[in-house]
Amino acid sequence: MRIIYETSDGGVAVIVPTPEYLLTHTMEELAAKDVPTGVNYEIVEDSVVPSDRAFRGAWTWA
Amino acid sequence: MATIINADTSDGLKLTSDTSGQIDFQSAGSTKATIDTSGNLKFNSGFGSVGTAYGVRAWVNIDGVGTVGINASGNVSSITDVGTGAYRVNFTNAMPDTNFVISVTTRVHSYDRTQITARTTTSCDLGGFALGGSGADYDPVNVIVVR
Repeated sequence: MRIIYETSDGGVAVIVPTPEYLLTHTMEELAAKDVPTGVNYEIVEDSVVPSDRAFRGAWTWA
Repeated sequence: MATIINADTSDGLKLTSDTSGQIDFQSAGSTKATIDTSGNLKFNSGFGSVGTAYGVRAWVNIDGVGTVGINASGNVSSITDVGTGAYRVNFTNAMPDTNFVISVTTRVHSYDRTQITARTTTSCDLGGFALGGSGADYDPVNVIVVR
């Protein structure tokens, strides 16, 4: 699972959890801790995030 | 003074206790490690004397190529991929202040191709870049935080 949110410059940030953290916490708890305060986010499947990073700077979150 | 646990070469285990709150670990009557009353762990592991051990407070091995992932980590809750070669490392347990030292390396030799752009007690921002200065993804990106 991944957490995605829009950055202040209109780009997309992708949070990748560590397996050790998920042993004792949920993705929602991780989002509460690591997503900047007041920013909307979405928890998505890994497959939602593109593996082709050739145009990483052009990613947007609709 | 200290409470002493001594591995004596003649008598085996020898214990000496007091009320100082410090523990010394000895071999043949020579102190090899200490836990003092402040909780500092000190040891002689080739230092030449018993000195304070400064631990790695967080570490992570980032796979920044393709689908970004984490190869292994310690005291890191997550990384945030914020762009090409740009990551935020989020700590599970916060640092006591922002004076910690960060070491970032990549598999690239001969040139320093990493940078640290920001830090708080709960995270640090870092990046990898190509020789021309633009952001670049690497695998692995190794991060060590010492305090």
